[in-house]
Amino acid sequence: MAHERQGQGYVGTSPRQLNGDAVLRGKVPFTADVLFPGQLHAHIVRSPHASARILSVDLSGATRIAGVVFALDGMGAAQHTDPIPHYLDPSVFGGRSAEIRCLAIDHVRHFGQPVAVVVAGDKRTARYAASKVRVSYEPRPAVTEAAEALKPGAPMVVAGWDQNSIMEVPFGGGDVAQGFAEADRVSRSRVRIHRYSTQPIETRAYNAVWNTGDDTLTLHATAQNPHPLRNVLSRALRMPENHIRIVATNIGGAFGLKMHGHPEEALICLLARLTGRPVRWVEDREECLLVGGREQHHEIELALRKDGRILAIRDRFLANTGAPSACPGWGMAFLTGLTMPGPYDVGNVAVTMNAVVTNKPPWNASRGYGKEATAIVLELAIERAARELGIDPVEIRCRNFIPREAFPKKTATGLIFDSGDYEGALRKAVKLIGYDHWRAKQRAGRATGKYYGIGVAYEVTPEGGALPGTMVAGFDTSTVKVGPDGSVTLLTGVTNPGTGNPTGIAQIVADELGVTLESIRVLQGDTDTCPYGFGNYSGRSTIVGGGSAALAAQDVRAKVAAVAAGLLGVGVETIRIVGGNVSSSALPDQILRFADVCYAAYTRAYDVAAVIELPLEATRSFKPGLISHQPDENGKINPYPSYSNAGYAAICEVDIETGKVTLLKFAVAHDCGRVINPVLVEGQACGAIAFGIGGVLGEEIVCDAKGQQLTTSFVDYTMPRAADVPAVAMGHHDSPNPVTYLGLKGAGEAGVGGSAAAVVNAVNDALSVFGVEMQELPLSPPRIWAALQAAGAVRERPAAAAAGGSVP
Amino acid sequence: MSQELLEDSVLLQLRVNGQPREVEIQPAQSLLDVLREDLRLTGTHMGCMTGHCGACTVLINGRIAKSCITPEVTLRRAEITTVEGLVQGDGCLHPVQQAFWDASGFQCGYCSPGFLLATVELLKDNPSPSDDEIRHAFAGNLCRCTGYQSIVRAVRVAADKLKENPQ
Repeated sequence: MAHERQGQGYVGTSPRQLNGDAVLRGKVPFTADVLFPGQLHAHIVRSPHASARILSVDLSGATRIAGVVFALDGMGAAQHTDPIPHYLDPSVFGGRSAEIRCLAIDHVRHFGQPVAVVVAGDKRTARYAASKVRVSYEPRPAVTEAAEALKPGAPMVVAGWDQNSIMEVPFGGGDVAQGFAEADRVSRSRVRIHRYSTQPIETRAYNAVWNTGDDTLTLHATAQNPHPLRNVLSRALRMPENHIRIVATNIGGAFGLKMHGHPEEALICLLARLTGRPVRWVEDREECLLVGGREQHHEIELALRKDGRILAIRDRFLANTGAPSACPGWGMAFLTGLTMPGPYDVGNVAVTMNAVVTNKPPWNASRGYGKEATAIVLELAIERAARELGIDPVEIRCRNFIPREAFPKKTATGLIFDSGDYEGALRKAVKLIGYDHWRAKQRAGRATGKYYGIGVAYEVTPEGGALPGTMVAGFDTSTVKVGPDGSVTLLTGVTNPGTGNPTGIAQIVADELGVTLESIRVLQGDTDTCPYGFGNYSGRSTIVGGGSAALAAQDVRAKVAAVAAGLLGVGVETIRIVGGNVSSSALPDQILRFADVCYAAYTRAYDVAAVIELPLEATRSFKPGLISHQPDENGKINPYPSYSNAGYAAICEVDIETGKVTLLKFAVAHDCGRVINPVLVEGQACGAIAFGIGGVLGEEIVCDAKGQQLTTSFVDYTMPRAADVPAVAMGHHDSPNPVTYLGLKGAGEAGVGGSAAAVVNAVNDALSVFGVEMQELPLSPPRIWAALQAAGAVRERPAAAAAGGSVP
Repeated sequence: MSQELLEDSVLLQLRVNGQPREVEIQPAQSLLDVLREDLRLTGTHMGCMTGHCGACTVLINGRIAKSCITPEVTLRRAEITTVEGLVQGDGCLHPVQQAFWDASGFQCGYCSPGFLLATVELLKDNPSPSDDEIRHAFAGNLCRCTGYQSIVRAVRVAADKLKENPQ
């Protein structure tokens, strides 16, 4: 996208967040903060069984309680609603698709599935009354493990399916058999990634308002994708889209959880319609913990030459996606396969993905969207290969990276990587962490019973995706409006989950338009005011929100410049607009205020503004290149325009008495293309690192053999706190993306898997002296302790172990 | 609300952000609920209702507390400060708020009330905390966006501001 920019200088700097003052005063309303006159509150009755037939639902115990306004079961809801359309319908991709209802009708497929709902004048009454709903169940055998679900005779999660699988998909290319035939060695890993999820501090909340006057519905929602949600609701609720308004203005973190398909979205809207009053539902933490993600079991083989070069990769994995849902979670398994073989230049790849359904609660999207799993699996496997071959972990990676001169590079699965310098970034991360210093410290530590580990990893993260035939779109749209007073309103179809993207996009507009940042107001997340857009996912917000806003701002700037040229009587090509001041190189002494030019535009349409089309507004879309939905000669498509990437390095200490891991230092060298706001980008990167650390050290969702979830609160689900995340040394190693505005790449998702893998590799490096290597996650203290016990490590420590140190 | 619950309710006299308030608190109703639903001070947020995430943190008699699990009996005549009460008399941000804005010590802002109030308490007790002390002062607060790096940085900035300009 070559064009001339004004160069005001906001891009590349780190102004503070535009709305920070209001946020930090506690004045920004989140969805759960909104109350309306006549407000009602809903409480949902959920299934205590993982699989059961519903024999009857008796609501009378609830409805007779004073203060209860309404109660509904699945049969009642089905009279007024159609099934919830899938965010990513598996049938579009040739998979099995299940019917999803907002309340279960005759059977439940997972623990916690909504079965009935009670609405009351206050939430305590609603909760109390919900406990009086009597549901009679006939429990059925449940299946919770993916491998069990695929065995012949396993109970079917979805009645009528012949297999507990959404789809089995092969990915890859080349001649894998040849690669293995030529190998000096085959390294085999079994990597088990456990069930964990996103858990933003703000849980989901919906407040639906039915306007009886014109039969319209307004839903205030924690929703990442308001316009696509509106489409889903219109179909589920059988009403036209133009009668529905979604407001999702301020969101307290999303990370994929707030992508739609959740049964509560349509349900709360239906309740508002049936009661004629506003109905609010706020998810509690136990409910939020039901939403899963990420559980995958891989068996991966690397065909290796003895110098460490990977000749071929074979990977077969099962993803336990839980019960079917209308949310886009299952698609993560697809992306795990598609992203293989990550940053490595390996042409012979055979991956088989099976997206398995079980009676665990459903997945939803989780930051990384399956691409983090690719990084975890590859980086653990290559680490094992390095250990087996006796090659330094940094060197083995550098011997296999796609070289920087090879971009754009088509991978074995058909992705087209835009740009990068993987070796440069990894070496930068290694330098930032002080690799050689810690190797020496590690050797010295063993003599005194201190077990340090050093881990590295790399991650390539496809971002900004577009999947044909779905509402996962690659483009988005923005409107720039300038009023007669010169103030700027920016409306964009991308939403803000709390990342700061409005500030980044406003920086771009300020530079393009030539105004001050403070004169811009950004509006997002309201389907009645914003252009049709796809919201927030896949690290796309600044790529397409910023790209489209830049184009719109350029159009408006051209109009302002034309009016200014008329006012000054000079050629338009001489006009400069900087910082809210308009000048001409032909008249160096004259400066017009931006606001005065805008006022002239609106008030002098028949003279100086006759040359432009009023008002001072423009709406533009940005559709990045590189995405290709036309299958190539092998039937492959490239759904992404942007491949951010990063090298990670972690230092840990393992207490072998307790199994506790303490992270001492972390470093990352990050390539997210051109950086608009370094502080915001670093915030994204550090947030992703905390996700990675938490995911492999503590966070785990556990259920019992019958599928009843045991993880119910932050006591059980231990997310990293400030003392658990070490100082992060951050280096940028940017290679601009040739197909996006200014060379942007996504920055939102990258890093969850790379940082996770670096931590696991560091722990295994510390444990290697005991002959212990763990590929089953998470690496919680009891598991590490048990592995050390099993290896007899604690008995032998420390002198014998120290003598046997074998780290390269 | 059922009759028996109403009969068990307790009338509490509190001072909230300097203003005397009288509130009716129901059995098993949290202070968080009273602040948010009855007094409409929605800057204090719900994250877990079990006292683990810290989004509901307020100051009670000058010390941080989780308003979601604070027993009502401890609240008689209590002095409560919420995030809304941090703002100075002249309407300006408290130096800790200003530091969190200037140094980007937040992303979505949902957990910020807790981090702001925990910082106020920390810096009152320890005007020059080390990074380790800062991290441990947030033992009761979860942030899911920042990875804590920018929050620690913001606290350092706040400490410097308060040293220049003691409250």
